[in-house]
Amino acid sequence: MSGHDDEHDHDGHPHHDAPSNPYHGSNRSPERNEALAQRVARIEGLLTEKGLFNKATLDRIVEIYEHDLGPLNGAKVIARAWVDPDYKQRLLDNATAAIAELGFGGLQGEHLIVVENTPAIHNVVVCTLCSCYPWPVLGLPPTWYKDAAYRSRVVIDPRGVLADFGTAIDDDVEVRVWDSSAEVRYLVMPERPAGTENLSEDELTRLVERDAMIGVRKVVLA
Amino acid sequence: MNAERLVRPAIAEMNGTPALPRKSGELVFHDEWERRAFAMAVSLAEQGIFEWNDFQQQLIKAVARAEENDPLNPSRGYYESWLAALEAVLAEKQMLEER
Repeated sequence: MSGHDDEHDHDGHPHHDAPSNPYHGSNRSPERNEALAQRVARIEGLLTEKGLFNKATLDRIVEIYEHDLGPLNGAKVIARAWVDPDYKQRLLDNATAAIAELGFGGLQGEHLIVVENTPAIHNVVVCTLCSCYPWPVLGLPPTWYKDAAYRSRVVIDPRGVLADFGTAIDDDVEVRVWDSSAEVRYLVMPERPAGTENLSEDELTRLVERDAMIGVRKVVLA
Repeated sequence: MNAERLVRPAIAEMNGTPALPRKSGELVFHDEWERRAFAMAVSLAEQGIFEWNDFQQQLIKAVARAEENDPLNPSRGYYESWLAALEAVLAEKQMLEER
């Protein structure tokens, strides 16, 4: 998925997870990479011998964090709601349960709430205190989500922040800002774009990007 | 989703310096050893061998050391600092000695 540039802070400074050289394995020399691989293999061997884990345990952890953690889960939820009105109703009534129907979950006691964009209402999500985020459905938050600039400004001037993302909201549309907390996490259900009536659920899933589910962009037909 | 497939909030939600490298919400690994080092730390914390917070503090220090000369050109990558942090917490517990 493309989307807003994660790799920079709001003010344009490169962040430490920017694709600057050392984070790219390709920029490490093969010798250095081999030495690192050996250090890791030694620890893995030692601790495996001590019975702390085995290869399968580690493989499972990688699988969970690398593949089950990402905005694709949220996109599947939204696409299902677009094609299945009954599911959409269940999602709006009890998002935690409806999302669990698709096999996604993992928050510990926090409730998920889905807020629906309509021609009259545009929703956008923030966490003003820290960076609470519905990560079981959206994966890891983008860097800008945690920036003080986004957190404070979206409350004071949501239309201005949306404009920064290239999202124009008509004057007669109400903008609602939802403040996530340790107890409640919000997910935006974007409007299904016109011209997508004949798309399959899978094709719709591919249209729904992370930023649309935070509410800073709309879903557009590519 | 059963309990053993849970992602830990303390790990997924790390902010600031120790935040996991990601792209569009997904973790980014470049080499297989990075995945192994990541998974070992998560597994050991899940088992209570060390507290996640202790590991995170070591990771913050390790990233800071890598950035002390030039923050924009760290002397090593994120998972190299991760490995250094893992070695540090394991050394504290005397778990790196061969039997």
